[in-house]
Amino acid sequence: MNIFQDNLSRLAPGQQDLATAVTSAAGGVLTIEPSKTGSPSARRSGRWIHSAYDPLREAQTWADTHAAACQSGETIVVAGVGLLYHVELLRKMLPPEAALAVLIPNLDEFHDALAARSFEAWSESILWLSGSPTEVAERLTKTGRPIRCLSYTPATQWDAEFHRALEEALRRVISRRAGGQLTIALVGPIYGGSLPIARYVKRALETLGHTVQWIDHSVHAASYEVMGSLKDGRNRQVMQGRMADLLSQWTLASLAESPPDLVLSLAQAPLTLPMLEHLRKKKFLAAMWFVENYRHLTYWQQMAPGYEYWFVIQKESCFEALRQAGARHVSYLPMAADPEVHCPMTLSGDDRRMFGADLSFVGAGYANRRRLLPALLRHPWSFKLWGNEWEGAENLRSVIQLNGARIDTATCMKVFNATTINLNLHSTTGEGLDPQADFVNPRTFELAACGAFQLVDHRSYLPECFTDREILSFRDFGDVPALVRKWLGDQAARQAMAHAARERVLAAHTYVHRMQDLLGQIGLSQPDRVGAILRGERQQEFLLARCNDDQPLQALLKDCPSGQRIELKDVAACIRSKGPISALKREELMVLMLDEYRSETRDLA
Amino acid sequence: MRRECRGEPRRLVIQLARLGDVVQTLPALDALRQAHPHQGLDLLCPEPLTAVAAGSGLCDRVLPWDGARWHAWASRWADNPVRTLHEAEGCIESLGPLSYERVYSLNQHARCCVLAQLCAEPIRRVSDTEAWEAQLRPWAQHLRWVAKERGANRVHLADAWCGMCGVLPRGQAPLCVPPAAELPDDLAGIGERRGLWVALAVGAGEADRCIAPAVWNQWIREFLAQTQNGHVVLIGSRAEGERAQAILDSLPTLLHGCVWDATGRTTLAQLMCLLQKCQWIIGADTGPLHLGTLVGTRAIGWYFSRARVHETGPYGEGHWVFQHATQTQPHSWPIMESIALMRDEQRQSLADWTLWRSRMDRWGAFFDDGSETAAVESSRADIWRACAPVLCESMAA
Repeated sequence: MNIFQDNLSRLAPGQQDLATAVTSAAGGVLTIEPSKTGSPSARRSGRWIHSAYDPLREAQTWADTHAAACQSGETIVVAGVGLLYHVELLRKMLPPEAALAVLIPNLDEFHDALAARSFEAWSESILWLSGSPTEVAERLTKTGRPIRCLSYTPATQWDAEFHRALEEALRRVISRRAGGQLTIALVGPIYGGSLPIARYVKRALETLGHTVQWIDHSVHAASYEVMGSLKDGRNRQVMQGRMADLLSQWTLASLAESPPDLVLSLAQAPLTLPMLEHLRKKKFLAAMWFVENYRHLTYWQQMAPGYEYWFVIQKESCFEALRQAGARHVSYLPMAADPEVHCPMTLSGDDRRMFGADLSFVGAGYANRRRLLPALLRHPWSFKLWGNEWEGAENLRSVIQLNGARIDTATCMKVFNATTINLNLHSTTGEGLDPQADFVNPRTFELAACGAFQLVDHRSYLPECFTDREILSFRDFGDVPALVRKWLGDQAARQAMAHAARERVLAAHTYVHRMQDLLGQIGLSQPDRVGAILRGERQQEFLLARCNDDQPLQALLKDCPSGQRIELKDVAACIRSKGPISALKREELMVLMLDEYRSETRDLA
Repeated sequence: MRRECRGEPRRLVIQLARLGDVVQTLPALDALRQAHPHQGLDLLCPEPLTAVAAGSGLCDRVLPWDGARWHAWASRWADNPVRTLHEAEGCIESLGPLSYERVYSLNQHARCCVLAQLCAEPIRRVSDTEAWEAQLRPWAQHLRWVAKERGANRVHLADAWCGMCGVLPRGQAPLCVPPAAELPDDLAGIGERRGLWVALAVGAGEADRCIAPAVWNQWIREFLAQTQNGHVVLIGSRAEGERAQAILDSLPTLLHGCVWDATGRTTLAQLMCLLQKCQWIIGADTGPLHLGTLVGTRAIGWYFSRARVHETGPYGEGHWVFQHATQTQPHSWPIMESIALMRDEQRQSLADWTLWRSRMDRWGAFFDDGSETAAVESSRADIWRACAPVLCESMAA
């Protein structure tokens, strides 16, 4: 029996399909070369997957780094195959009861690995996972065990799409199955476009059953604005900077009052890097949803290392830029709509007259809009322009509504609902369409959620959010007049498209979906912390089931409100409510003692 | 140690604070032992400090409290409450039988109160808690007032703890024989040669009570210049090793043979042995200063910042404290003055510093600058009468 067959025979029973598939795989992906120490090493597409000097030592370092975090009840999933030295050494470091699975995205690579070196008994207990990402995700989640994903990066880069798709599938499964209640501190901005998004996020998280502590800095907006009125630029900057520092400190003090499981900041939240580092030192978990164009708003460069998780609305180049700035985990999370706010409305005749038009545009007077929109004047349709910052746009004066006043969300919804065709033109500082047209703005989702028909400038991420049967887009602004003419005359097609777009938003693009994804991603990355809470492992029922025959502990847990998440502080509060401590039982006193120590752990002083 | 008898009524003193506080709890143990000679008496204190009382003969058992483990359990509770509670239970079990008839909790924080309840016999706990608290309350209020107002209090903290335990101080400081502990080879020569041996505590528990290495450096130079056969032993924790190194670095090489660096090199038991080999210990208000008094070493304290001689001065007879007039960091230090005291018991004055000598009487320890002894005794007696009227009446009777 040769090495390949010997290794094949060690694949665990029940993995015969894989054995058959790998036998018929051609291999030839890895180039095997002896390392300086004599053990085989490998290259793929000319790049070393393992050390050319000492692959075993290199793999041992990798295993040492990761083994400590692995828990015995988890399934540890390793991405990256190569010659599997890292898997061998990790398996040897883990307790036998820890399950270890390896992803096989490429059977040819696996074939090469099986032929290159002799695996021993360690390989018999490995769960080898091949198939589509969705199949693998389903198989993993069926085990019911928490999943911890590890990556041996030198070997993963060729199958990046497989790993990305698997991560997304796992995240979805985790978020679908989430039954636990997190406590999330939501840190909003003082003012600006991310403020309403903070409100939508709050509602979404509450809809999902989580408890939200909203640290609302919009109450300080008036003071911040007053400082902005200072004529001396330096003074203005100093004063506003100090206020931002103060609010950062205020955030910290608020968090200390009741430490959450997660601190979620929205773009422009006043949290400074030193404060974030202090939070990190105190084991707070902080995430940022940066709902801004990273190319325009660049303060993320200073904040990147402060947050454990970054969620952004742009992909590759944005990921890379953030990582280079020190971010540890960066994930894509597109914008969305809140169907409670962004919804179809029945308008009165007066409202229809006031807010309606054949064509409308709502938005601020960015340079590209000032340059492009005049082309929509002097046509046989009516055109209205809503929003602020249009000062000096004399050629648009005839269509600017309410003298260019800022309009609130309720008015905005009326315009969307009363308008036949809503023009959605992404902002940019240039003169034409956005030359780096990638992310999809919130307006796209909001209009769609309203069941309003829209015409949007094309974005590279648009097809993954909506099909061309759901949303109409243009790549050349010169096409807009013809499109308006065409679609104004086809009410049935407009309604069908708008209806389809709304259905798509309700099915996949609400803030509830986004928060599920965000928490799923964090839960996947932190299986024993946020992940455990999301899985419901802090719920009363779960804890009671875990008590086995421990009657005193069962009694303590049963005293707490049923159907709720129970933490040490909740059990302690329940005990304290019984009266003087002198009348308490021994186990109750021990819980109080633990709670006294707990209350010191997160002390932010 | 007394033999422990099952079923015999036992008392427990809980002291969860730092080294100096554990040392200054021993007078209360001493007084309790005298007041209840036929009852068992134990001390519960932080695990690293058990050696302080273990060989004192003032209590039967010293129960170690491992706060770090409780911290770890508290943060691990959510992972597995059942296992956490079982482990915590195991920790409590490991302390032995905990059905104390009476528990004295000397620290006024919630953790200590819960611990007191955990250690008490359940029936006593339910029926006697009010009486226990009634005894503690006046003293606890007094200590809170002292901490807040920093008034003209003259009752020493160690004596207030006696009051909290329902006993009067014995009027003499407890002395302990250090537990047997062999010193590292290179420190074994300490105290062996003739001469004046001084232990110098280089650090302090809190940064604002630390004395700069440059000041100590100057003190050592002056001391060695004036004292034939003078020897200085630098003591402190491992973390204070850098301070000791800074002191040594700027000393002339010729003096190095007279200075021994023992920082971070000793266990608590070894430190006690080492301190016993020195005639004097000098330092700020810090644990080793008090530990020195426990093994019979005379102490000179430099008290400044928030340290107050009347509350936490070295306990016993014949110690000295230079108390700074303000709470700010001093500009000048009693260098020559403290050396004069060590060499010839000469009292010299220095602007902004007051020199106090420790004394003992029936109310415990007090500090005297020679000006108002009668008034001091009267004020202390007033506090005792207010906080422990029944005890004072029984003493009068």
